[in-house]
Amino acid sequence: MRRLARDAAGILAAVLLLGTASNLAPGRHLAWWGKGHEPPAAGKDYQLVDPGSADSIRASLPHVVFLDTRADAEFARGHVPGARPISYTDLSAQLTRARLDALRAADAVVVYGASEETDVEQLLAQELRERGLAPPYVLVGGYPAWEGAGLPVEQGGPR
Amino acid sequence: MSVLRRSWLHWALGLGLGGVFLYAAWGKVLDPRPLVTIIWGYRILPAGPINLLAIYMPWLELFVGACLATGILRRAAAFWATALLVMFEIALGVNALRGVNVACGCFSANAEETHNAWFLVLRDLPMLAAALAMLLFPPRRASGGGKSEESRVKS
Repeated sequence: MRRLARDAAGILAAVLLLGTASNLAPGRHLAWWGKGHEPPAAGKDYQLVDPGSADSIRASLPHVVFLDTRADAEFARGHVPGARPISYTDLSAQLTRARLDALRAADAVVVYGASEETDVEQLLAQELRERGLAPPYVLVGGYPAWEGAGLPVEQGGPR
Repeated sequence: MSVLRRSWLHWALGLGLGGVFLYAAWGKVLDPRPLVTIIWGYRILPAGPINLLAIYMPWLELFVGACLATGILRRAAAFWATALLVMFEIALGVNALRGVNVACGCFSANAEETHNAWFLVLRDLPMLAAALAMLLFPPRRASGGGKSEESRVKS
C-alpha cells in the first residue's frame, strides 16, 4: 500500500509539473482561476451564423468586421476578405482601447476559426460582449465551411 | 478471482484502457481551452477551479494512459484511472438525473457534441471495472511462488 501511495504521488507530481510548465508556455496560457462567469450562451453572448448568411450580412452592411482566430500561417494561406487575425490566448494585449472602439463602431462582428468546433470563438465572442460589444456572430463550420461554400477568400497577411 | 491476477490479463486491460486514455487526452493536452466550456457545461463546479481542472486533467489522462499501456507504475495509474472514472461517472450521473444531455468532453472538447447522459454513464462502467481489476488484483509473477508483486515487496 505504501508503494502504491508513493507511485500515485509520483504520477501526481509529474502531472502538476508538466501541466504547470505547459500552461506557462507562450501562446497557451489559461487563467489559473476561472473568472466566475457563466459559459458563453447562444443568443446572449453570440449568435450562430452560417456562411451564406454571414456573406449576406457582409454584403448588406457597410462595416462588418471578421475576426480570424486561426494561426498566422493558416490566415496567410487564405481568409475571409478583410478579416483581422486575433488570438484568444492573448486578448488583453490585443484588445486595445482603439481596437475595441473600432469593433464597437462596426455594424457587425463575425468570429470564425479553423474548424466546426467553435468553442474558442464562443469564448472570444463572450469576451467581446463583456467589453461592450453587441453579441458577435460565430461562423458555423469556421473557415472550412466558408471556403467550402465557394465564398470569396483572399490570401496573405493582414492589411 | 485468480484469473484477475493473470499477467496477460493486466497487459490486455492496460493496453486497452491505456489506449482509451491516451486517445482521450491528446486533443485536450494540445489545447485545453475548449475544455473550460465543456466543464462549465456540467454545471457542477464553481467557476474558480474549472480552469485548474482544464489545465491539469488532460495531463493526468495522458500519464495514466501511458503508464497503463506500458506497464510502468501500472497499479498507481489504475488508482488514478479509477479516481478519474468515478469522477466522470458522478458528473455524468448528476446530469443524467437532471435530464441534461451534456457534451461530455470524453474524446474531444467539442461542446456541440452531446450524447445521452445515461449512455455515457453505462459506457464508462466497463472502463471502471477494468481500472478496478488492475488496482485491486495486482498480478502474480510466475517466479514469485504465487505471491503478488505487492506482497513480495512487503516481505
